[in-house]
Amino acid sequence: MLFKKLAAAALAIAAMAMPVAAQDFIAGIPRNEALIIQGPAAQNAEWFNLWAPGGGATTNGNQQLTADTLWWINPEGTGDAAWTNALAADKPVYNDDFTQMTVTLKEGIFWSDGVEFTADDVKYTVDTQIAHPGMGWSAPFTVNVESVEVPDRNTVVFNLKAPNSRFHTLFTVRWNAAWIMPKHVFETVDDPLTYAANPPVSLSAYVLHSYDTAGNWVIWKLRDDWQRTSIGQGLTEAPQVKYVVYRNAGNPDARVIEQMNHNLDVINDIAPEGMFTIARDAADSTAYWFPGFPFAHPDPTLPSVLFNHQVEPFNNKDVRWALALMIDIRSVAMGSYRGAANLAALSTPPTGSAITDYYQPMQEWLVNYEVNTGTRTIKPYDPTTAEQIAALVKPQWGDQIPSDPTQLKAMFGEGWWKQDLAAAAELLQKAGFTKNGNQWMKPDGTPFTIKLMVEGDAIPTLARAGTIIAQQWSMEGIQTTVDVAGPTNGQRLGGGDYEAAIYWTVETWGGHPDLSFFLESYHSDFIKPAGEVQPPRNLTRWQDERLDQIIEANRTVGFDDPKVVELGMDYLKLAVEEMPFIPLMAYNKFAPFDTTYWTGYPSAANPYAASGPNWSNLRYMIVALEANPNAPAAQ
Amino acid sequence: MFENGPQMDGFAKYLVRRFFQFFLVIFLGVSLAFLITNLSPVDPVEQSVSLMTSFGATDPRSVELMRSALEELYGLQGTMLDQYLSFWGRVLRGDFGPSLSAFPTPVMSLIMGALPWTIGLLTLALIITWSLGNLLGALAGYYRSNVLLKLSGAAVMALHPVPAYIIGLVLLLAFGFIWPVLPISGGAQMNLQPGFTFDYIRSLILHGTLPALTLVLVGIGSWFISMRSLVSNIVTDDHVVYAELGGVNSSKIFSQYVARNALLPQLTGLALSLGNVFGGAVITEFLFNYPGVGRLLIQGIYRGDYSLVLGVTTMSIISVAVAVFIIDLLYPLIDPRVRLG
Repeated sequence: MLFKKLAAAALAIAAMAMPVAAQDFIAGIPRNEALIIQGPAAQNAEWFNLWAPGGGATTNGNQQLTADTLWWINPEGTGDAAWTNALAADKPVYNDDFTQMTVTLKEGIFWSDGVEFTADDVKYTVDTQIAHPGMGWSAPFTVNVESVEVPDRNTVVFNLKAPNSRFHTLFTVRWNAAWIMPKHVFETVDDPLTYAANPPVSLSAYVLHSYDTAGNWVIWKLRDDWQRTSIGQGLTEAPQVKYVVYRNAGNPDARVIEQMNHNLDVINDIAPEGMFTIARDAADSTAYWFPGFPFAHPDPTLPSVLFNHQVEPFNNKDVRWALALMIDIRSVAMGSYRGAANLAALSTPPTGSAITDYYQPMQEWLVNYEVNTGTRTIKPYDPTTAEQIAALVKPQWGDQIPSDPTQLKAMFGEGWWKQDLAAAAELLQKAGFTKNGNQWMKPDGTPFTIKLMVEGDAIPTLARAGTIIAQQWSMEGIQTTVDVAGPTNGQRLGGGDYEAAIYWTVETWGGHPDLSFFLESYHSDFIKPAGEVQPPRNLTRWQDERLDQIIEANRTVGFDDPKVVELGMDYLKLAVEEMPFIPLMAYNKFAPFDTTYWTGYPSAANPYAASGPNWSNLRYMIVALEANPNAPAAQ
Repeated sequence: MFENGPQMDGFAKYLVRRFFQFFLVIFLGVSLAFLITNLSPVDPVEQSVSLMTSFGATDPRSVELMRSALEELYGLQGTMLDQYLSFWGRVLRGDFGPSLSAFPTPVMSLIMGALPWTIGLLTLALIITWSLGNLLGALAGYYRSNVLLKLSGAAVMALHPVPAYIIGLVLLLAFGFIWPVLPISGGAQMNLQPGFTFDYIRSLILHGTLPALTLVLVGIGSWFISMRSLVSNIVTDDHVVYAELGGVNSSKIFSQYVARNALLPQLTGLALSLGNVFGGAVITEFLFNYPGVGRLLIQGIYRGDYSLVLGVTTMSIISVAVAVFIIDLLYPLIDPRVRLG
């Protein structure tokens, strides 16, 4: 009897559950008017102040859809097309010694509450943040800005404390930038640091519609006056996406399931296995960066083997080169991304404009580059790695793998270093190491062992890469253990509390050849002693006079000066010679798009916007999407 | 009056002893939580600096300034003893200070936002688990030859050692993908106005089903096993044997002679299990993206927000201690030996 009752209860629950499939996925909003994007689980869902600490890193659509600033760079773009004048009418104008920057603003742009955007908003943004230490861009403004003048409502003049040819980059969105504050709103509040800005006043094409107080979703709605925004002024027709839903779709497995159930149009990142499942089971309703394998879109970020130069023997370039030549990159590509990796031999991510500005022009130099092992000279570069990896993945992916070498290089990278164990041994001997059995001994007679730090589950592909490299080094006589840092990873990297690590210390604009985005922080002025926290990006604490000279020269030329590329190549050649870290690959992200309701997503063939939903640049994708005429009818 | 005197004395002593234990547990637990969270290697200031510098152009000259401004803003100056004393002062006022990862939102308001979800989930799951586990266990212990009960015993014991995240993942795949009839993420339907409406309550139940089922399947085994074992012993006691020989109705023997006696230790176990259930809820909430305190705790840990971690931990310590204390107070009502001291 009891079991009959239990069975009856279970059936009743199941019956109650059945209608869920027929229910509106979002109450009151037609599914075919909404684009659903993977978002975060917000702790403080009612907080929309972008200028408070950490506010500029929100990925719930607030900065992606309501914020705006002077300029944008498409991280996937190339040439002039990658640059967008947003609130600014033109590019920044500097005086001769880069101590003053003048900006002319566009007209006819309004905040969502009907107040016109003017130069006063820009001046207020800078002055207010300088007056309130702790606000997001307070520190860089305080360090750089002497004063801001507003000669008329469309012109802003920044007087700088010292020459800075890259000051405008503080207002240039790559992932984010200093967003302009609504003066008329913030000047009425007591403390801009504790003001929730709920609802936020929008300067872009969408406004807040509703949100979950439990932090699982936020819905944004197209502004009625979307034309009166910088993005709207560039459109001839109204965006078809009326609602944008940022929803936390849970763990990576749940994200895959939700996309295959058509409840999640845009995924930020999933593991390769999840990507391959979607490609196998939902290929008809999914779009990818590449039309087939390797699917992933490369972020302008460069996962590498980092060495702490303040720890011996990693301050020796022969040791670093030896460790590079012990790596079989094909195994790393297969083990980490199951082959779907875009390899990088140069110390800049192989994405956006870097391919045509650096990778392709430097191929001949790389092929002819020589390393002196102490006993002979070798040419370590292998321009055929793409073909080799293609051969490894072809049995699984068949016709999706082309035979054209140019296409293969676009998919798998231009080339990498040949594994050369004999040369690696010679380099270690050159550095004073000896071999005892199969164990390499340091010049002081102690065993050469390495702790290789990885973040862990947060980035499984890089953790796998670290494990494989550790195995390869161990097999060659350098006992290497993998050290999983978990949430302490960033802090340990910044504090120099590691020997070697798999992470990135180079990020670029992606859509522009200027390398100052990371290179400025590589100047020796910013190197900290061991134990102190390093400013972001030079995590290896690499120090070199020749590097300082390149950085100082880059400061004296304008952002768009052709010399920028020359200086970039000088840096890249120096980095090959010194191998301060071993570049591995682009940070490939698997970000599949569901095409059931929307089409026209960006791709490698048409990279008009960034792919990952965390990038603010995604706003250009959202207004460009087209409704799928074959979508299921609205319920 | 004469007869009640010694009883009341014993009860009063019992109460005083329990009160003392209650406050000692809270003091030691919270102090330990403070020590552990403050020794965490994750620095919230560095986490915030990282968030503010990771994505856009960063002027390396500004980082020191940013760091010092945040240290001042977050109020992280002073020795650990200063912070400990200040912490207790705030705890007594019900204030855990601002969250460092969701600055300046107070930790208390984050917890209060998440708490109803966890309480709802845990209460429902615990009631079902405890009732069903004990009922099935008692029946299996009393009717030992029943095949269906044997099978159910085998099933719950097979599930017992399986971790919550495995069971949750299986349910997620089963009801989210293979037979997609239940929501696998979140607490309620998107854009649905919260309130006492049929749609919202149904949505809450549907979204809570898989997380609750996970907790039930994980927890039911231990109640089943312990209850069956208790009942198996009690059925051989003299008073049960005499009742059977005296022709007392078997359902009355089961409910009045066996189950009631066996429930006493299970009631104590219920209070003590709250801590374990909370641990399981953390994983389950994370897996199903359920907006409760468990998910909040994991976010706090990953962001180095020790104000938040400490707030959640303190609340859970106090909650479990209060639950145990209430059970302790109820105990004399069930077992007269406690009243007598």
